[in-house]
Amino acid sequence: MKKIIKLNVNDIDYEIAVDHHALLIDVIRNSLRLTGTKKSCGEGDCCSCTVLIDNKPVLSCITLAAACEGKKITTIEGMENKDGTLHPIQQAFIDKGAVQCGFCTPGMVLATKALLDRNPNPTRDEIKKGLSGNLCRCTGYIKISDAVEHAAKLLQTR
Amino acid sequence: MYLQQFQYESPETVGDLSLLLSKYKERARILAGGTDIIPNMLNKLYKAGYLIDISGIKTLSGIEYKKGKGLTIGAATKLDDIEYSDLIKDKYFALYQSVKEVGSPQIRAMATLGGNTCNASPAADTPPALVALGAGVVIVSRKGRREMLLEDFILGNRVTDLKPDEYLESFQIPDVQPGSAGRFGLITLRKAVEIDIASIAVNLAIDPKTKKTEDIKIVLGSVAPVPLRVKKAESILIGQKPDDAIIEKAAKECADESKPIDDIRASAAYRRHVVSVLAKRTLNETINAVK
Repeated sequence: MKKIIKLNVNDIDYEIAVDHHALLIDVIRNSLRLTGTKKSCGEGDCCSCTVLIDNKPVLSCITLAAACEGKKITTIEGMENKDGTLHPIQQAFIDKGAVQCGFCTPGMVLATKALLDRNPNPTRDEIKKGLSGNLCRCTGYIKISDAVEHAAKLLQTR
Repeated sequence: MYLQQFQYESPETVGDLSLLLSKYKERARILAGGTDIIPNMLNKLYKAGYLIDISGIKTLSGIEYKKGKGLTIGAATKLDDIEYSDLIKDKYFALYQSVKEVGSPQIRAMATLGGNTCNASPAADTPPALVALGAGVVIVSRKGRREMLLEDFILGNRVTDLKPDEYLESFQIPDVQPGSAGRFGLITLRKAVEIDIASIAVNLAIDPKTKKTEDIKIVLGSVAPVPLRVKKAESILIGQKPDDAIIEKAAKECADESKPIDDIRASAAYRRHVVSVLAKRTLNETINAVK
């Protein structure tokens, strides 16, 4: 069965027909062709698929697209500034060498955005807790925590 | 991984919800946060012909405290709303402690208190804390309302007393007694996105004059099919001034009463041992927290 829904993604309204059982991540990646959001475990454990819904970090691989009507969805593509320059969090990840294969990075960046929105000046421990769901197989996490600390400073001086 | 087909419904009122449940009964499942249901449907552990999304029904979520009456938490209240509630952190610390352990920040932004109970995994974090706080549940259908203790609502591994045409409306938690405190403790291999090896919730009240324990609930999690009230351990402490010997005896009783299994995370023997350590630690923490 299909349903026509209005999805607001990165400030743009889309009207699309989705299966009742369609997952948000599949609609984002396959229908909207926004492939920045990554499907890794596909079962809500690794947080690679993190997107923001009404500014809260959620897992798009276990969210139904049909349940997202009328909500504000932000994917990694929505993080950059209007002029195409990178959001300070994205820039901080690059500056601190926190990106290796890059697969976990979109989820990490969005989880960071949610963390810093709620707690603009987190301690190292609060950073680890705020990103505790996001798995990374490459970096060992230290440079990611460095990047979040750095991003917090960049955002405070903005 | 992809889901099999189902029909998605999103009622906007509890009246519509009741109608849909009485129409579809066993063929339908209620969708709240989806953090248990969707992964279980992806790996075909759960099936549903109809998924009824209750997240649009505003009256099913919310945190309300009334002095004398206590706390009412809507079943569809998100775990992160509970995690960041100053009121709950202040008055019901054991509940705050149990909620902040669930999954990850992302999971807590989606999952609901009602879902954690209704999914009824033996390793769920919030039921032991809720049972220790004396929580009751309000269950509604087209036929009417009924209330019961949460302790009696969870019946077994992923089994509750919820009938196919019923939904869980809210949790009712009694007001905090003066001279009481509650604490939750757990043992896990990882610090997040983990399933507990063992957990415990303690809620007790100490008479300020006699210093004797006048009320106590001790509830174990992950070591039985349901949250396990250890009444034998409670009776060791009640009416006594808590000292090291009594706490040691109660902790050993908790270990003896627990019914753990061997699984991929830990052996039954280890769990039984760790329950006594956890019980001693959490009992001491709770007693020290009584103001």
